[in-house]
Amino acid sequence: MIAYLTNLAALAAIFGILAATLNVAVGYAGIFSVAHAVFFGLGAYAGAQIALVLVPDALVAMLVAGLVSGVLSLCLALPALRVRGEYFVAASLGLQMMATTLFSEWKTVTGGIGGLTGIPRPHIFGVEVGTLPLALAALGLILLATAALMRGAFGRTLRSIRDAESAAEALGKNVAAAKALAVAFACAGAGVAGALFALHMQFVNVESFNLDQSVLIMAMVIIGGTGTLLGPLVGAVILLSLPAGLAFLPFIPATEVGAVQQMVYGLAMTLLMIFRPAGLVGDLSRGKSTA
Amino acid sequence: MSAPILVCEGLSRSFGGVKAVAGVSLALPAGQVTALVGPNGAGKTTVFNLITGNLRADAGSAMLRGRSIMGLAPHKVARMGVARSFQDLRLFTHMSVRDNIRTATETSAWFWQPGGATARRAREAATEEALARTGLLELAEARAIDLAYAERKFLSMARILAARAEIWLLDEPASGLDLASRLRFGALLKEARRQGVAICLIEHNLDVVTELADRIAFLDQGQVLAEGEPEAILKDPKLAAIYFGDRGEAA
Repeated sequence: MIAYLTNLAALAAIFGILAATLNVAVGYAGIFSVAHAVFFGLGAYAGAQIALVLVPDALVAMLVAGLVSGVLSLCLALPALRVRGEYFVAASLGLQMMATTLFSEWKTVTGGIGGLTGIPRPHIFGVEVGTLPLALAALGLILLATAALMRGAFGRTLRSIRDAESAAEALGKNVAAAKALAVAFACAGAGVAGALFALHMQFVNVESFNLDQSVLIMAMVIIGGTGTLLGPLVGAVILLSLPAGLAFLPFIPATEVGAVQQMVYGLAMTLLMIFRPAGLVGDLSRGKSTA
Repeated sequence: MSAPILVCEGLSRSFGGVKAVAGVSLALPAGQVTALVGPNGAGKTTVFNLITGNLRADAGSAMLRGRSIMGLAPHKVARMGVARSFQDLRLFTHMSVRDNIRTATETSAWFWQPGGATARRAREAATEEALARTGLLELAEARAIDLAYAERKFLSMARILAARAEIWLLDEPASGLDLASRLRFGALLKEARRQGVAICLIEHNLDVVTELADRIAFLDQGQVLAEGEPEAILKDPKLAAIYFGDRGEAA
């Protein structure tokens, strides 16, 4: 039971990182990306390869994974961010579809559909460590960095772009650069989460990095509350605990848990958008405004 | 009259077959208020958009202190000292009044602002000064979206004040203001003029124009039909016919 809960907690921390970093793009900068799982995947493969080929050091794996995801997100964000609002959603959807294909076909790096197996347990300076403390530490650092950035000038810049892009530009803000930085920060975080995920599961394949996963992460952010520090974390914990909770209910047959889960997600999202459009932790008056 | 800070010559822009702006020339001297007057659809806001880089001109030039600003991105034009307001205000609705103004003082898109503690203190001072001059001190922590209409207009002006620009392009800044607010706005504008800001405003309220403008450029169908002292322009029966005539109504 303890092993089960530790596993769940580690996954909650990893998905907490994913939701918190996606929230920087969605909640603060108003960039709706449905491709966050791509950068989660890039980080996971990078981290896994480092551990498999080079050294099973968690810090090295996380650093490289963050860099790979962050830098690649920049290459992709710069052209994609030139399109506005809903067009970016479509562009990110296209990216997600391309990446899923790439992940299943580029066998030398990703292991194809079968994925990468036998990833060693994480070590730090040669000593084996658990993924839960690692993931919690990474989550804590990322939340601290996010809080510091969002409270400062960069956060104001992103929120000003979210609320009125042309006015932000008219006040001298380089909108494309600020958006690209926000995306890079968010995706670097997703990369770190990817490395942790690979080291935790000791196995990765494309199933974890597809559109469903991107939508799940987006749902965590929206249900928890966009533009808040803790909302995405709450969303991650709820959405991860839900299948576990449903599995414990005796009147739902084990084979139907998946279907019930999807229906509960859908219903929760719909009710939330009607009654609390800003999410569970979000500001009540938001979402109801016309701005 | 001092030498103009901003000089536009022959600005033109068409949308499909419609000539929105056709050869507009305009000079904005320091410490002077120029009003762009004309019926709806005369091309007034388009002129602003051409100067600020929100639209690309088909022809013409715009020189800021002798340097061309044509073809520059809007944020670069803004950093060179051209601030603008929008008719629909475009406030940062979910940010506090103080953060709306504060963000106007921060132009770097990087994770942090340059200049260290000294620059930060200067930005804070500019923010507090803009709050005080627009009478928004007591509302500093309120969100922009919760403000009354007049206060929203003053917040839009406060952002411009805090940006410390030498040119203000104001799109209908006094529309919808009651008399008391209009007087407050007038005082704000006169103070900026005294400090040497070159102000260009689009305004339909001719009382405001008469009170504040040093010069008027009368626009119709994308062209400057007349330019000069307010009294001369506003008393011209031909221009009055165009302004109040059946082609356009004063809003």
